[in-house]
Amino acid sequence: MNMPVAPVRPTVAAELLGSPVFRLIKMTLPTNTRITVETGLMASQDTNLDCTTELNGNFLSALMAKFFGGESFFINHYSNRSSKSATIYVTQSTPGDIMVKEMKNESIFLEAGAFIAKTGGIRSETVWAGFTSLIAGEGLFRLKYSGTGTLWFGSYGAIIEKEVKGDLYVDTHHLLAYPSTVKLSLKLAGGLFSSLFSKEGFVLKVSGNGKILLQTRSVKGLAQWLNTKFWG
Amino acid sequence: MIIEKKCEPASTIAICHLEPGEVIYAESGAFMAMKGPVQFETSTRQKSGGGFLKGLKRLVSGESFFINKFTATAKSQVYLGTALPGDMLIKKLNGEKLIIQGGSFVASEPDVNIDLEWQGLKSIFSGENIFWVKAKGTGHVIINSFGFIYPIEVNGEYVVDTGHIVAFEETLNFEISKASSGWIQSFLSGEGFICRFKGQGIVWCQSHSPRGFGHELRPYLKSKRG
Repeated sequence: MNMPVAPVRPTVAAELLGSPVFRLIKMTLPTNTRITVETGLMASQDTNLDCTTELNGNFLSALMAKFFGGESFFINHYSNRSSKSATIYVTQSTPGDIMVKEMKNESIFLEAGAFIAKTGGIRSETVWAGFTSLIAGEGLFRLKYSGTGTLWFGSYGAIIEKEVKGDLYVDTHHLLAYPSTVKLSLKLAGGLFSSLFSKEGFVLKVSGNGKILLQTRSVKGLAQWLNTKFWG
Repeated sequence: MIIEKKCEPASTIAICHLEPGEVIYAESGAFMAMKGPVQFETSTRQKSGGGFLKGLKRLVSGESFFINKFTATAKSQVYLGTALPGDMLIKKLNGEKLIIQGGSFVASEPDVNIDLEWQGLKSIFSGENIFWVKAKGTGHVIINSFGFIYPIEVNGEYVVDTGHIVAFEETLNFEISKASSGWIQSFLSGEGFICRFKGQGIVWCQSHSPRGFGHELRPYLKSKRG
């Protein structure tokens, strides 16, 4: 059987700089390439890159991404229409590590705010995640990225990969990414008493088979700690 | 004076090795430890004078009112740190001028003159603080950042987001410009204003923006007790 030959297209070259504590992406875009970046994450760039701001999908999906997925309503496209290659440095708002995922006709679910950048072949959608998420304070919807291309996303803290076989319990704010082969459900952290008073409240039960990614810190956790310093 | 960096890039400190008689001025709050006979003095002035007014000027540029003077009476070491996690830039000046993001100045040798730099109206939109700090003279200057620092050699034009500038050489000029093709788009792009550098020289950028991290935290922070 003959494999269809894909036309040779210029691709974006990227390297991760810095240490896992402060990661930064340096991307080099050849002529006629484009990269999609979450708003506000460009650190610096060559002048031969044009930035255009568009809705994050169509109007309805942008609205859903904003209000239910915790992403922004708009998204930036950086295109190189010049004759020489262009470099852009892309960061994230929290200190932490950045992950690169080469996707081949697959999909991944991301925690709100984790998305950084993607190449053209990946589309994002906000999908219903069930009532599980509502009670866990995670929003009713999840962000699903699927297709073929490169996806960059980041964590607050370090990233730990965990193989799920059977059940695994994780804190809701520490789950960074998971494949569609696992299912989430909500459990009480302990009995009713400890769930209410331990601050853990509910935990997520991850079941099925697949690799999930955890982040070692949570922005909400830091904010809660800061709140006690400010207001006692 | 030899200055070395340790614990880079997430928690960088600067260790200043002072010969007898050598002096380093450090932003108040930067002092971490010292070893050997060092005289410690707090004032509002540097060697070149200025006094109270200079203290006030430092205050508006996002630095502290007071500055600490460390004088080594014999061979000694002074350890300097900063409040934010991140890297430090240690630059030895040979008469040239460096323009530093307000709030990023850590320390300098006595023959480096530190002053406010007003870049005109564009200053208001260009950074975390309205004023910039100007360092000119001979000797070391220590600057801190949020995240790690990457230098960009500009030859022609280069764009840096306003929250990511640490310092730049005076041979570079900058203007405030829009991030996208139109003003409305620029506003929506989340980048807001950007700095467009022109000329030849180095601009040092920081990997992370304190403002960006603040925005991330804001939804979870409480504005009052309870």
